[in-house]
Amino acid sequence: MNALKRFLSRWEFYLVVLLVLAGAWSAELSPYYLNFSQIMFSTRFFVGPGLLALGLTGIVIVGEIDLSVASTLAIGTIMFSKFSAAGWPILPAVVGVMLICTLLGAINGILVSRFALPSLVVTLGTMGAYRGIAYIIGGQVGYTSFGPSYLWLGSTVVPHLSLPVSFLFFLFAALLFMFLQHGTVYGRLVFSIGNNSLATRFSGIRNNVVRTTAFAAGGAFSGASALIFIGQYASARADNGDGSILFVITAVVLGGVDIMGGSGTVLGVILSLFLLGTLSNGMGLANIAGTTQTIVIGVLLISSILISNLITLRASKHRTNLNNDVDGGESVSANNELKEGSM
Amino acid sequence: MSELNIDEIVPQGKASRRDISNSVLRLRFTGVLVFLILLGIVFSILSPRFLSFENFNIIVSNASLLIIAATAEAIVVITRNLDVSIGSTMGLAGYVTANLAASVHGLGPILVLTAVAIGAVLGLVNGVLVAYGKVPSIVATLGTLSIYRGIDSMIAGGVDVTTSQLPKWMLNSVNIPILGIPSLVYFAALIVVVVSLLLRNVPALRQLFAVGSNPSASHFYGLKTKRIVLLAYVSCGFLAGLSGFLYAAQIGEVTVVLARGWELETLAAVVIGGVSILGGSGSLFGVALGAIVLATIDNGLVLLRVQEFWRMFVQGTAIVLAVAVDAMVDRRVKELLKTRRFSVAAGGKK
Repeated sequence: MNALKRFLSRWEFYLVVLLVLAGAWSAELSPYYLNFSQIMFSTRFFVGPGLLALGLTGIVIVGEIDLSVASTLAIGTIMFSKFSAAGWPILPAVVGVMLICTLLGAINGILVSRFALPSLVVTLGTMGAYRGIAYIIGGQVGYTSFGPSYLWLGSTVVPHLSLPVSFLFFLFAALLFMFLQHGTVYGRLVFSIGNNSLATRFSGIRNNVVRTTAFAAGGAFSGASALIFIGQYASARADNGDGSILFVITAVVLGGVDIMGGSGTVLGVILSLFLLGTLSNGMGLANIAGTTQTIVIGVLLISSILISNLITLRASKHRTNLNNDVDGGESVSANNELKEGSM
Repeated sequence: MSELNIDEIVPQGKASRRDISNSVLRLRFTGVLVFLILLGIVFSILSPRFLSFENFNIIVSNASLLIIAATAEAIVVITRNLDVSIGSTMGLAGYVTANLAASVHGLGPILVLTAVAIGAVLGLVNGVLVAYGKVPSIVATLGTLSIYRGIDSMIAGGVDVTTSQLPKWMLNSVNIPILGIPSLVYFAALIVVVVSLLLRNVPALRQLFAVGSNPSASHFYGLKTKRIVLLAYVSCGFLAGLSGFLYAAQIGEVTVVLARGWELETLAAVVIGGVSILGGSGSLFGVALGAIVLATIDNGLVLLRVQEFWRMFVQGTAIVLAVAVDAMVDRRVKELLKTRRFSVAAGGKK
């Protein structure tokens, strides 16, 4: 009974319920929705930003934020096009893009941890700076003459199964990341630092190394997203991925990751990506305008936090009532104030 | 000047601490000023046209709108929060007002009130979400960024308001030259001075600094922190609505993308101007200077015929440099304060 209760109070459970509802709603809206190959085809719209969201998840859990992930992606796609133009074979090109993007992430990480700068402002700066670099290297004209090997990852569909390779790649990356985050010492350290970085420092943990690693991993995910992006759109331009940061942060927050750091699950983020993908697919099939879609995403983002605040508030009130604490409500609000204070 | 921090609000009788933090803020301001002068020297050597009255006019009128919007942003940043929906607020207030001006004639100053009221309501929504809904400010305003812009494009439905549809007085209001300088520049200066004075002298607004300095301490001290944060957001929306109106008046062609991306511009000006992103300190004169630095960089790069996208790179790098300098100064101040306190304690023992 207790286990059931715990299961029902999990954020992921609500995401699954919402996902089913969104699916049913989409099927209601359009007769073309409920079809395996259509659903699989629709995953291509969120695997790219989804990889960015996975990278951001680790960074948010460690207690920081990275607004520059989409700009890093742009440098990735531009470099990929440069390698393609220089006639590099695919393997060194992929390694090159991944290395460059990881380095860009690590630069953010070093600025944030070694120099103790607020990540919000630093990555606001590098968001502009990296985008600027993408324009400086790539110019304003797009590059479209990629060879088939460069496009393979993002454009191939497994024959007979109608499974896009990009989706399989996303699943693989997501499972790998889930293991990293929830099954390794490094992952536990990320959570601990996000919860209380002072305590981990006094426990002899090198916070800066872990933080920088989280940022570097975020950069690597941006690189992977760049590879998928090229396969899907076959075009590298400096404005690639511009404006996708809203979707990415929405996915992470809707996935139940605490924006203040220290808690969240990779599974939640994956589920929220599916939910967002289903919603935009359904709204697209129902011919709902793009502007309405952004309103829906914005409302989802805010209400997900509002609702989870309400749930945790009620849960902790319940707990304090059980302890016969008369001042329950007051101590909850004091706790929240303290949490805000430590932001 | 609105350079005050918790030491000034909670009198502790330690004049030395106050002196240090005040002189540091002055130092920070001087730092930006020196940087601006250096920029000016470099640009005037590289381009003979830089040092002319016309060019000065271009820079200050380009900076003016940003100064007003950045003032709005700074009010929220001082409370240790953010408003990334400011561009959308400006866009929605600007478009609706321009649309109203085009369809109903002879409204006069009611138009300004409309813009300001729309801005204040949008700010109120942000404030309620952040202060009472306990939604982290970046998440709440990122959400409203897309919601407000979405509402804007739903209202617009792809129709732009053109210059010929707007009343003459509205277009002229920002461009009348006074002593050769456009009136918008005077508006910006007036707003910075007035808001600075208000922040310094109105108790409710002084508390913005207290809340930003230490939210939980102010809560336990008995300040109504929620109401104060709400007030900050409403004031921010109010000024954002005003800048939306002025922006619409300045460019005349009002589209649905009006002021898109301004959240970054304003945050850049705020950070370069020395307002701490961790809240609690900063001066609006610094913010104005930050906006002028950004406008000067833009102007210089145009005069030097540098490709437009270098601008993004330079702007982004300037933001990172500014916070790096801030962090350095901050650490230095803390060390200074520590040694002061130790020396006082040691002196007391003897």
